[in-house]
Amino acid sequence: MTEHSADRTLQPPRIAEWLLRRFFADNGDFTHLGDFAEGFAALAAEKGSGRARLWYWTQVFRSLPGFAANRIYWSLSMLRNYAVITYRTIVKNAGYSLISLLGLAVGLAAFILILAYVRFETSYDRFFEKKDRIYRLVNAEVKPGETSGEFATWTPDPVATLLKTEFPEVRHAARVMRQFSDPAVLRHEDRSFAQSGLIADQDFLEVFSFPFVRGDRSSALAAPGTIVITEEVARKLYGDEDPVGKPLSYGVRRAQGDLTVTGVIRDVPANSHLRFDYLLSLATLEADKSNDYMFKNWNVGNFTIYAELADPTARKPLEEKFASWIDKNRPSESEAKLRFYLQPLVDIHLRSNIAGQLATNNEIRTVSLFLAIAVLILLIAAVNYMNLVTARASTRAREIGVRKVSGADRGQLARQFLGESVLFSGLALVSALALARLALGRFNAVAGTGLGFRDLVDPSFVLLIAGVALAVGLASGAYPALVLSSFQASAVLKEHAATGRKSSRLRDALVVGQFAASVALLVCALVVSGQLRYIQTRTLGYEREHVVIIPIREPGTAAKADALKAELLRLPEVESVSRTSGLPTDIRSRMINQKLVTDRGETITTAYHFDYVDENFIDVFKIELAAGRNFAAGETNVALINETFARTAGWQDPIGKELSSMDKARVVGVVKDFHFQTFHTPIEPMAVFLESGNMLAVRTRPGDVGDIIARLRRVFEATTKSQPWDFMFFDDEYDALYRKERRAGEIFGAFAALAVFIACLGLLGLAAFAVERRTKEIGIRKVMGASAPRLAARLSREFVGLVLLANVIAWPVAYYAMSRWLRGFAYRIGLGPGVFVLAALGALLVAVLTVATQTLRAASANPVDSLRYE
Amino acid sequence: MRLLSRSEELVLLAVWNLENEASCLPIQQKLREVTGQSWSLGSIFDPLDRLERKRLLESRLTEPTKERGGRSKRVYRLTVLGRRALNDLRSIQETLWTEALGLESEPEKP
Repeated sequence: MTEHSADRTLQPPRIAEWLLRRFFADNGDFTHLGDFAEGFAALAAEKGSGRARLWYWTQVFRSLPGFAANRIYWSLSMLRNYAVITYRTIVKNAGYSLISLLGLAVGLAAFILILAYVRFETSYDRFFEKKDRIYRLVNAEVKPGETSGEFATWTPDPVATLLKTEFPEVRHAARVMRQFSDPAVLRHEDRSFAQSGLIADQDFLEVFSFPFVRGDRSSALAAPGTIVITEEVARKLYGDEDPVGKPLSYGVRRAQGDLTVTGVIRDVPANSHLRFDYLLSLATLEADKSNDYMFKNWNVGNFTIYAELADPTARKPLEEKFASWIDKNRPSESEAKLRFYLQPLVDIHLRSNIAGQLATNNEIRTVSLFLAIAVLILLIAAVNYMNLVTARASTRAREIGVRKVSGADRGQLARQFLGESVLFSGLALVSALALARLALGRFNAVAGTGLGFRDLVDPSFVLLIAGVALAVGLASGAYPALVLSSFQASAVLKEHAATGRKSSRLRDALVVGQFAASVALLVCALVVSGQLRYIQTRTLGYEREHVVIIPIREPGTAAKADALKAELLRLPEVESVSRTSGLPTDIRSRMINQKLVTDRGETITTAYHFDYVDENFIDVFKIELAAGRNFAAGETNVALINETFARTAGWQDPIGKELSSMDKARVVGVVKDFHFQTFHTPIEPMAVFLESGNMLAVRTRPGDVGDIIARLRRVFEATTKSQPWDFMFFDDEYDALYRKERRAGEIFGAFAALAVFIACLGLLGLAAFAVERRTKEIGIRKVMGASAPRLAARLSREFVGLVLLANVIAWPVAYYAMSRWLRGFAYRIGLGPGVFVLAALGALLVAVLTVATQTLRAASANPVDSLRYE
Repeated sequence: MRLLSRSEELVLLAVWNLENEASCLPIQQKLREVTGQSWSLGSIFDPLDRLERKRLLESRLTEPTKERGGRSKRVYRLTVLGRRALNDLRSIQETLWTEALGLESEPEKP
């Protein structure tokens, strides 16, 4: 045996020794390891190495629990130490700490709010049990030579039966329609309320898993004269009684009926595209002979049809089979082909924008735009935070040196910095939640959502946000943890500060990025608000102020409508009253494939919008006549068309021309073009026909609105007893047209302001930091005769440069985004250099002011003080 | 005065009994002899550390030796405070024990 191997047998077991060293913090001198080794050596000499090994292992294993407990105790006390040091750092630099905390908290709060909004919007219709197998039928008339047409959901009745009988892959096909004159008046004994609802067949209850509270789901809508109501309606009409089997009287404009309640369902959740207070059985309409036209008729599309498939993979083949079936069997004179498509239920809210929807929906574009803004703001805030933390950390180089000299190793220092920054971002998270809670009400009002605090603290959601906060904390702690901890203690202590140009260049790049994002958001906000202002002020061709709309909801009121109109006209506050079906914002119907003969004798095919109004319509809305005359009371078969109609039809003098399809209506006048659609679309041909409609549009004289409404109400209630009073302001209806745009605009504005605010916080911190580090330089320059303003300018120069650079980056991005957005409007503002310059000046001004607060103070300080600093 | 835990008390007494040779292994051996139980080394380190932090013990390092794998030995000794603590403990216990007369004369089982 060699000396070496003999020695080896006397060595304690390596693995056991390694375990000891790993788990046992021994103040660094390893005397305890020595004790183990000595015991081993003594035993090995006495009883041989085998026994000694056994002893050593036993000792190690019996000691480990104690060591582990010891270790945990010490790491906990280290954690306390981190907390103490974090606290001291925060207090020592209270200003900086507040700035970085505020920035991060505001950014996180914005992120939380928008994320909650996005979660809500993407949760639509996902609570239905069969959500993956439900499809909505969408159709399009495809003209010869074209591959697709305009999508609509209006589907003829026979399609539902056909789907169920001819195609075995369809389990159920539910027909749904909205009552023409929604809402309806629901009455039980002396209680009555106007509620909006849907008309649906029994299949609807099979397809959609709306939970029943009372009643029998399998037959609730099968029979005529049945109605299912929500819990809320049940409570309002029946109080604590069980409504099932009880009578309910139902009134819409043309009909009044007595129904029986067959079921009560839970209130419909807000994230459903199907919203209703009641479901009237479709069988009720089928039983009424006057409705025969809408059933078994391929030419009337009144229904939205939802199909439940046995298997989602059957979708594409079914669409093809259906198309060929339609081509073979559908009775049609039109050369256009009717095509049906199956649209997944969960796509309805965000991925469809088609005619005849049961609810206004949102666009995935808006939702992803918001998400992008949220991420951008969070990035700005995180970058900010990182900038400030790293800037501050570089002044702690000396602290690091001292710690290293007194024995801290790199890992400990890294943990210290990471711990500090994570603790801090945790603090920011808590403040962010509080801020989000405070801003929730305002946010709901602007975004049109009904989010509660519970949506913000949902466990999986909080976990995600906490993850984000943790990541921000780790990322911003990473620089000091990895770079600063590697400094040589001697180097750090010798030199004044050992921060390289490199880290400051990184900070510059981050500042540029931040400001680029802020400026881009600012430009977008300016353009959006400019376009919205343009919409608000552009001449519409009608006047939207001072008009009150009173809907006529049931036959009792409809019978008295003319009397009501006469009574209202007697009020001194009322200027004029029209009984109309359409509004200038809402010309409801559209006729396609209309053949018209031009002045030159050609026949053209066109589509036009139309509605029914009375002879006071153009007075009430102050629509001007371009040619001819207004309707006269009592006329029949007369029409007014707009200028675009006359132009499209090629008529020099349209008076007396006939519109063939509408009972040969004769054109008596031409109205000047007005915007009956949104500014997204150019003005299209439009006609109105003389027929009294289902609402009263009342033009009032300017005055105390509350007072006028009260007077209208008194007249209304004195004249008609059966209908509960309600009304709308016409300009609210107008505003509703642009609600989506206004929301986007307001949210854009708010978040652009936030972005600029956070970016400026960062700039403030960095400027203060730069000034502080150059205190001595400033003092010397002053002694040499520099004036305060010149010094301030000198100190501000580099920040101004950064902001200017940011503008150069932001402009093309914003230009691209906004020219795309504006393209969605047929009537839009130009995208001139004005907004860009304005955004640039705004950002620059705020930046200069921010920096100036710091530099001016430093520059005007007495050089004696600044030179004595340290 | 602060009372000590039983293990601290035993370790402190063992160090006193071992006079100048009180390093970990002799202490472990002494404790085994007296209590008849085997003590792991790890279970001695902890009370030793705590006693030292309470200033009842003080320690010094010896020269490194080969059988210790080139490591020093830490040898413990009682401080003045340590001796006082032991005396206090003793008087407390004696007082208690004298008041606990009759413990041995347990009544015989019938």
